[in-house]
Amino acid sequence: MTNLHDTAPVQPMKVVGQRLPRVDAGERVTGRAIYPADLTRPGMVTGRIKRSPHAHARIVNIDTAKARALKGVLAVVTAADFPEIKPGTIIPFGETGADAWVSAVIVLARDRVLWRGHPVAAVAATDAHIAAAALDLIEVVYEPLPAVMDIADAMQPNAPLLNPELKPKGFDGGVPIVRNAGTRTLIERGDVAAALKAAAAVGEARVVIDTAHQGYIEPHACVAESDPTGLVTIWASTQGAFQTEIQTAVLLGLSQSKLKVIPLEMGGGFGGKITVHVEPIAARLAQLTGRPVKIVMSREEMLTGGSGPAAAARIDVRVGADANGKITAVDGHYVFDTGGIPGTPTTLLMQASAACYQTRCLRLEGMDIMTNKPRTEAYRGPGGIQAAFAFEQAVDELALRLDIDPLELRRRNASVTSSMMPIGTPFPSIGLTTILERVAAHPCWTTPLAKGSLPRGRGLALGYWRGTSMTSAAHVTIAGDGRPMVTMGAVDISGTRTTMAQVAAEEFGLSLGDVHIATGDTKSVGYSDAAAGSRVGRTMAAAVSEACRDALAQLTRRAAEKLQCTTADVSYASGVFRSAGAVPASISLHDLMRATLTDGAVVGRGVSTKLPFGVEIGAQVADVEVDSETGQITVLRYTAFQDVGRALNPAAVEGQIEGSVVQGLGWALTEGFDYAPDGRLRNASLLDYRMPTALDVPPIEVVLIETPVPGVPYGVRGVGEMPIVPPGAVIGNAVRQAVGVRVNHMPMTPERVLAAIKGGRIGTA
Amino acid sequence: MKTVITCEVNGEPREALADSRDTLLDVLRDRLGLTGTKEGCGNGNCGACTVLMNGDPVCACLVLAGEAEGCRITTIEGVATGNTLHPVQAALITHGGTQCGFCTPGIVLSAVALLERTPHPDEHAIRHAIAGNICRCTGYDKIVEAIASVAAETGKVTP
Repeated sequence: MTNLHDTAPVQPMKVVGQRLPRVDAGERVTGRAIYPADLTRPGMVTGRIKRSPHAHARIVNIDTAKARALKGVLAVVTAADFPEIKPGTIIPFGETGADAWVSAVIVLARDRVLWRGHPVAAVAATDAHIAAAALDLIEVVYEPLPAVMDIADAMQPNAPLLNPELKPKGFDGGVPIVRNAGTRTLIERGDVAAALKAAAAVGEARVVIDTAHQGYIEPHACVAESDPTGLVTIWASTQGAFQTEIQTAVLLGLSQSKLKVIPLEMGGGFGGKITVHVEPIAARLAQLTGRPVKIVMSREEMLTGGSGPAAAARIDVRVGADANGKITAVDGHYVFDTGGIPGTPTTLLMQASAACYQTRCLRLEGMDIMTNKPRTEAYRGPGGIQAAFAFEQAVDELALRLDIDPLELRRRNASVTSSMMPIGTPFPSIGLTTILERVAAHPCWTTPLAKGSLPRGRGLALGYWRGTSMTSAAHVTIAGDGRPMVTMGAVDISGTRTTMAQVAAEEFGLSLGDVHIATGDTKSVGYSDAAAGSRVGRTMAAAVSEACRDALAQLTRRAAEKLQCTTADVSYASGVFRSAGAVPASISLHDLMRATLTDGAVVGRGVSTKLPFGVEIGAQVADVEVDSETGQITVLRYTAFQDVGRALNPAAVEGQIEGSVVQGLGWALTEGFDYAPDGRLRNASLLDYRMPTALDVPPIEVVLIETPVPGVPYGVRGVGEMPIVPPGAVIGNAVRQAVGVRVNHMPMTPERVLAAIKGGRIGTA
Repeated sequence: MKTVITCEVNGEPREALADSRDTLLDVLRDRLGLTGTKEGCGNGNCGACTVLMNGDPVCACLVLAGEAEGCRITTIEGVATGNTLHPVQAALITHGGTQCGFCTPGIVLSAVALLERTPHPDEHAIRHAIAGNICRCTGYDKIVEAIASVAAETGKVTP
């Protein structure tokens, strides 16, 4: 779609900021890109996983004898073939560390199953048909337990307790413990109750959000192989090779010197490919059989307990303001469905929902609640769309009650650089005011809504996501003809190879084609955190530029020797070292390496840690049409404004935003897991779990705004997570304008829209 | 019970042994090593395994291997001519129409089939032609733009 691209007055660059094709696009359009399911190893056999038919049950016994006796079956494993991991086994992982016990329970149930589809055993067999037959021969005796499928039910005092051995956190100081709670967090300042009572108007939203799935088209897959020295190699589809390695090593009780993870192409992850699912099982089967083992999940397995969906939620938000439309109080209560194991964090998402607004009084309380669903996992700005679905509709309702234009209400209360964040510290440089000015001037907002045969409405919502930084590593070596070769420690997600090759080309003053870029495996490059949390583009850019500058410093010393001058006299630009007074006056990078290659390798090293956060802020506007006979919502027009700091590659940035918005529209309109009371998933296929097709969404117009982040190379902000945050609320607000009611349950399916219209439900439920 | 399946794949005669339960997708990926065709769901819902069968786009996961006997099959490996890309492939590269790439082979074949029948499709026809191919990364805009650009280019060559 048309793109209005603001170019901030920064120093012009040759490669960074250019709209360039992906360096790895050729292999993708020809089918040459290799994902783990595409890999064949000599002697390779098939692994398959047996899953629980119960949502909640005690495992009384597992008898594998008949399966083992089947011709062609090479090995059968259960949790008994893995060391027992105790709760509280913290491994370095993410911002705060993670409990390896969680990964262990997700990979294979030990004494009880906590959701339908929970793995209980696995086989390796000479072909897929034999493996499937073997699964049926594994005899598992269960003692079924009562299951609880909804967070509201799970919080009842008499609800079945899912993990009685775990102590709920955050309920100190006499706060009553909520049943099945994982961790409660509270952020509070000022007297919110009094401020709400004194407010001239209060906007309120009470919403329910169904479980959804990240929906990557590539199912989880890996190949594992164990060689006679005991080295296990795993070819993985993962957002973090190092995270796959450490989880697998701990779950197998294997030394990390005996485990290598090679990340192949990943067919989408969106947060769902950080926790291991198949890798430790394939590795153990490979050890037991001495044969390479491939495991590929079916789509039904993916949707039914084989992979972590995104959390269902129940959220209540009240926003109060004075008669001038100045927000005086925010009160939010966020309950998230963590699935069978606790640990789905609510602290960032609840802050994110309130972050775009300044307020004196604020109370945000969040907690995760256990249910008999698969353990939820991150999904692109995890929790952001759910929280914004509540918060941005409450703000919209406030605008209606005050009779103030919804954009104007947001302008009066917008957070600015140095205003107080929900956590109480000042905002770093943000461009929300600029974004709102751009919305106000844009045709998507200024053009009156055209009349159609059906009711139409226009909705606006803001979005915020903090993202993270953590650590990234890269190194650069120089070929014998002077060409830089970059190896990075993070996998390619959303075009990382391309943007990082651009950064290296920029640093060396060369063209993109002069740079070779590769993603390393866990034995060839330095530790990097996972490609998640909108962190890789920013932190890897810092690591790559540091590695390039390190290499150039080493090259400068060599050049000074050749030019017979001091390093201080040498300057470098566009592939040539120069020294004003020297004879000769210059030497090219090419000639320098030709002359000094055999003097020793040039290895430039870059490690980025604790980079300032590149907070993401945006606004989105949609026009919708609502058929009040059928309840069908049609999105007519969609515009996404986002401050991206600086777009390393505008085409890649737009692609991220367009894709992220469409994922949000999917959840807003059609995507929701439909669980039966016994824990069966009633829509476990991509026909019934309906993700948007090209016919379901309009073109997404993207407007980029560039407010660089100080202290970050190129001023880059995160991009990919924020755009999925507003769509639910944008559509909700547009529907409210079109038909005068709020659909307080996401996805806003035709049935729910119709029910809201028939019930005349205005405002809150 | 295994039978020999004989068909023409990407212009070459091929033979493969297939179990009666095997699909065309199994034959292409596991017997013939043509792994460019992807399996995303196994139910014909995602379109990642789209290939051309006698010129028609089909989901290879819904075709039993035996049904492919005597048929002409085109997979993603047969779309380019040597290292010369088909215009649809080239356009997807220049327009940023591929991200993770897993749906891309199926999209390419759906687009190739569309343009062979309808050289100048409008935007709706393009979206309709790829509606059976779910892409989770791009939001479809850059794919639609890429296919439209090929239609516009061929328009200049053959008015």
